[in-house]
Amino acid sequence: MRMSWLPQGHLEAFLNLLEPYGTVHGPTVLENGVTALAPITSPDDLELKYRHTLIPPKKYLLPFRDPILTLNDGCYRPAPPVAPNLVLFGLHRCDLQAISYLDRVFLGDDPDPNYAGRRERLTLVGLSCEPDDFCYCDPAQPAAVDLFLDQAENGFLVTPHSPRGEKIMSEGTGLFLSSDHLPSLLVPLAPPPTPQDPELRFSDNPLWEEYARICLSCGACSACCPTCYCFDVREYPSLDHGGNRLREWDNCLFKKHGEVAGGDFRRSRLDRLRYRFLHKYCGFSPLQGVTSCVGCGRCAKACPVGIDLRNVLEVTYRGAEPATTRDQATGTGEVS
Amino acid sequence: MKRKPKLAIAGLTACSGCQLTFLNCEREIPTILDRFQVSFFPLGESSGGDDERFDAALIEGAVSTAQDLATLFALRRASRLLIAFGTCALFGGVAAMNNQLCDRAELFRSVYGREPEKDLIPPAPFTNFVAVDFSITGCPPEKTDLVALLGSLLAGTLPPTTCYPVCMECRSRENSCLLLDRDELCLGPIIQGGCNARCPATGIVCEGCRGPVSQANVAQEMELLLERGFDREDIRRRMSRFTPGWNYEQRD
Ligand code: SF4
Ligand code: SF4
Ligand code: SF4
Ligand code: SF4
Repeated sequence: MRMSWLPQGHLEAFLNLLEPYGTVHGPTVLENGVTALAPITSPDDLELKYRHTLIPPKKYLLPFRDPILTLNDGCYRPAPPVAPNLVLFGLHRCDLQAISYLDRVFLGDDPDPNYAGRRERLTLVGLSCEPDDFCYCDPAQPAAVDLFLDQAENGFLVTPHSPRGEKIMSEGTGLFLSSDHLPSLLVPLAPPPTPQDPELRFSDNPLWEEYARICLSCGACSACCPTCYCFDVREYPSLDHGGNRLREWDNCLFKKHGEVAGGDFRRSRLDRLRYRFLHKYCGFSPLQGVTSCVGCGRCAKACPVGIDLRNVLEVTYRGAEPATTRDQATGTGEVS
Repeated sequence: MKRKPKLAIAGLTACSGCQLTFLNCEREIPTILDRFQVSFFPLGESSGGDDERFDAALIEGAVSTAQDLATLFALRRASRLLIAFGTCALFGGVAAMNNQLCDRAELFRSVYGREPEKDLIPPAPFTNFVAVDFSITGCPPEKTDLVALLGSLLAGTLPPTTCYPVCMECRSRENSCLLLDRDELCLGPIIQGGCNARCPATGIVCEGCRGPVSQANVAQEMELLLERGFDREDIRRRMSRFTPGWNYEQRD
């Protein structure tokens, strides 16, 4: 694999190089102090040492509220997604792995047209990171990426991972210096707490009872999760005999999620809470057995009551003492 | 041509804010008037006949007088669908905020300087008295919810409902969390969403104007706020501003 060195001073030129592929969005700090992916106009906007964004890149592929059908003259028509060409610059490995997982869900046997329409207009540029207290990761997992930048002191080691990535690099030959030395880059990553759990042993963990007692069902863990993709579909008739059908983020923490005519699959808070983690660690068919937690740590960090699923797994697999929930949650998207 | 559905829009003890939501639909009003017959709307000066029947009655306000109760019963009898329109109708609302704190008769004496009428009712939600077919929450309600209801009535149905808390929309808008990041008394986790987190999006805490969300873990929100240093009485006062009837022990 060809690797090239991009000196820090060439970053602006590199961003310009990306422009023909779409509007460049990258990690930045919003006015309200939240770290988010947003349009970038100069390297100064970029927060290269960010830990994680509050809302993951799924917002570009599965917007919170997404019209899917319109009804006019008694006829339903697809509502094609508004999908401009977009470059996502500076995604961490976990978020790239999350996109790879979402690709499996939404581009599988029966591709989702809205997702597919947005996905094909996306160019992904990854960026190496430093782990924080909440995240862990398994670099061996597949990641969706066109170019990856390993950060070092005075620049980046750039590696193409797709034909598009190769093409971008060939268009910017003057920017890259060939590198014969590997700058020291890698901070040790926190290993993932568990492999698969086909026997669902963690379901019996007594910690669930405590977690179910304190979970507020606020949904923050799922809203912030890069691989939580559940949605609710609702249709609103309009005043002119037409209507709109839309989908909106939903999750198993909410009561309606498990309700069907005449019953409820997950009556208790415990069932609802555990179901999310079951999905993360065990998967559903056809992705049964595929871990969908990429270890970004967002859920633990955003939870107002400090629920951290690593504790459940630690106890089950390593026989550790159950950790108590932390006294104060530490907030959402601020850069530490 | 199909008969236009007949609407009644009325208010009990309330500020008329919910009815104003209807008048605020400037863009939609011509279409609404074209599709519906708004035959009883005292605020808008149409008073209807005595024996009139309605396809739907949208009623705001809490029940707090004998007259309120009579109006509510009359509209219930006259309407196929009765819609609790706004937080007061659903939960008692602002008028009921001190229900638990002070004696009604005492309050009456100090405000009106005379003995209270016999049939004084502590401001209460509709469901204490009549069957309610649908409700629109909010103080005031969102225009979009009202338009969705009217559109659905035309289609012969009722709109789909949601049950996520304010936090869900708040997070999706990438707001800074006032509860966690700024240590403020935000009720978002236990309040019904649908307002697109109006208040937190402008840096103001959610005061709970849309009432409890169905899966609210009330006891834990209380515990969390106490842990974060808020005073129990302040929390209760804040929580009862729009909904007096919280069960503070509720976990499930
Ligand atoms: S963020 Fe925490 S409190 Fe909120 S739903 Fe998730 S686990 Fe429950
Ligand atoms: S479950 Fe939590 S740590 Fe895992 S991917 Fe989702 S938000 Fe990140
Ligand atoms: S600011 Fe309030 S509504 Fe928004 S996430 Fe925080 S607690 Fe929830
Ligand atoms: S954020 Fe809370 S107080 Fe503000 S409109 Fe929404 S429900 Fe009402």
